[in-house]
Amino acid sequence: MLSELLQGTDTGGFLIVQDNISHSGRPLLKSFISAALNRDEDVHVLAFEASEEELKDGLQGLPCQRLHIHNAYIDPLGWTAHPAFTVQQFCFEELTQLAKQTSQPKPATLVIDSLSWILRHLNPPHVCKTLQQLRKGGAVRAIIGLLHADMHQRGTVGSICHLATSVIAVSPGMKADEAVAKTTKRAKSGKVTQDEEIFRINEDLTVVVLNKTSHPGPKQTDQEEPEMDPTANLTFNLRLSDTEREAKEKLALPFVFSKEKKMALLQSGPGSGRILYEPDANDDYDQEDPDDDLDV
Amino acid sequence: MAAPVNSVVNSSAKCSSFNATSFQKKTRSRLISIPGTRPSVQNGQLLVSTGVTSLDYLLGGGLAVGTVLLIEEDRYDSYSRMILKYFLAEGVVCRHELFVASAQHTPDDILQELPSPILDDVAIHKPVEQPRLSHEPQDSLDAMKIAWRYQNLPKVQTALASSSRFGHYYDVSKMMEAEIREAAKCHRFYLPEHPTQSSPTHSPMLESYSALLKSLRDVIQREGFEVTAPMSKSRNILRIGLHSLGSTLWGDDLCCHDNPRHGHALTTFLYGLRALLRSSLSVAVVTVPSHLIQNRALMGRITRLCDNAIALESFKGSEREANPLYKDYHGLLHVRQVPHLNCLASQLPDHKDLAFKLKRKQFSIEPHFYSTDVFFLTSHMSFTLKQVLV
Repeated sequence: MLSELLQGTDTGGFLIVQDNISHSGRPLLKSFISAALNRDEDVHVLAFEASEEELKDGLQGLPCQRLHIHNAYIDPLGWTAHPAFTVQQFCFEELTQLAKQTSQPKPATLVIDSLSWILRHLNPPHVCKTLQQLRKGGAVRAIIGLLHADMHQRGTVGSICHLATSVIAVSPGMKADEAVAKTTKRAKSGKVTQDEEIFRINEDLTVVVLNKTSHPGPKQTDQEEPEMDPTANLTFNLRLSDTEREAKEKLALPFVFSKEKKMALLQSGPGSGRILYEPDANDDYDQEDPDDDLDV
Repeated sequence: MAAPVNSVVNSSAKCSSFNATSFQKKTRSRLISIPGTRPSVQNGQLLVSTGVTSLDYLLGGGLAVGTVLLIEEDRYDSYSRMILKYFLAEGVVCRHELFVASAQHTPDDILQELPSPILDDVAIHKPVEQPRLSHEPQDSLDAMKIAWRYQNLPKVQTALASSSRFGHYYDVSKMMEAEIREAAKCHRFYLPEHPTQSSPTHSPMLESYSALLKSLRDVIQREGFEVTAPMSKSRNILRIGLHSLGSTLWGDDLCCHDNPRHGHALTTFLYGLRALLRSSLSVAVVTVPSHLIQNRALMGRITRLCDNAIALESFKGSEREANPLYKDYHGLLHVRQVPHLNCLASQLPDHKDLAFKLKRKQFSIEPHFYSTDVFFLTSHMSFTLKQVLV
């Protein structure tokens, strides 16, 4: 699932890379940036935690005219006279204006490094509202944010991840250069898929998914015994041949009247009676319904 | 609540064309007869169906008019949203009016995803097609050989209009058709469309909640849902669905901090909502993302302020998913509170361990047995039965 997310096919998505002190998520974030640049998309990066040079490191080989780094590292709180980008500018109107600055008709991808920094200085409801407005507005195609899960209270982390369509939680793997990614993806229909993969990031910022972790999956259910046809091995014949069926149809049943008598007895209208039926709790509707394909 | 004589006469005149006899039950008609409601067998309260028949059974027959049902959301808000959609779909089928409020999704998105009602309420058994002999004339499908006296009677009523059932079944895989949906009157409240101005008075409620409460009050007064409104026209029920109250998109920091600054905002809103509902013919379903609320005391206060409260816990993403005992179900359902309306003691459900499963045509809630004895006994029984049949 990590490779699908890297290809970035869905629009209007909000992806969160969740990391902690034992393993940083910034290399994975840079892989996402390089994947977006390789797709010829405009990328706007709000750099709060890392300097411009650190972010550009590793991205030299790629076409960088589409990469716009907004330097909020130098003066994020606006203490000098001319700050490049302050944290107060993190609101819907300013960010839309920022994203529309580029001349490309295609909407841009917004990368936020990091959301934790913004959450320290702005209150969470405001941040959530801005992110939701950005998603619904058309200026930005996708938002990718880095969140340090151990820096905030669980409720704050949960609230931000609740808004996201995909969350990738990285943690250190067995070997030094490997890491484990637990991905949770929420589709528009409400279906939730989860995956756990081991990956490694190369020098050129491509992600190599090594293998899925040996996850103890649910036990295989025993195979159903092949359905036996009860009419197969009987000593008497249950089937009818054509002549036999004809004779059966011709047989006059004891209480069957002739057609004229029937018509005389039947009324043409709906009649005086109605069949009213109210299924109660015991009428369990549709027991053997194949609902494995229900995508809810 | 005394109903005037003319409304009773009107409703009886409508169904007299189908009456078999001229016998009219002589009642004093203290209860208002509104489609889609029925009086409770326990305490005479007017009940509406939640749309999920097993949930109706848990709540004591249905949701009493004038009460609030609180649903604590599951982690990814899939099943709680499903129950909200069932509730709204039931309102469309019973011709009630709807009020949908949300901060995250537009109400139209929620309304477009309503499940489609199953019109043939009773499963009509299709006779196995016998291969027809060539010389037989093609009889009409209704020609019955043995039960010919019933030949000309209509099938079980399938039109929605004459459906007098209390709960309905829905097919989750299909969306409700647009013409059925648009026949219902729906009021919408989408928070981004209501720009919040900071109020000059220092109220404990947030501006978003104040705006929602004001909008609700306006709708109830304008459309005549109040109990004290003049009874000139026929009465109807207003179904209110409030999605994800308390989440950060409503401007509330209840879910973010352990000691929220607006700790009293949601509780004040719920107090005002319940006061509004008690004096009107409406019923509300509120979903709250309780898995994000860290302060358990606050969650307890929120539960106390609502009449009915259930919590959904889905197995998706938790370690319980691999547990073989839970493989038949999608999650657990906990009943946090049952209402005691006009009585001293409330009726508790028989079983405390309940699990739910969302099937295509039914949302089933069943008691879930933990003991392995029952597990082995039922599997052994099914094994021996299979041997006997084959």
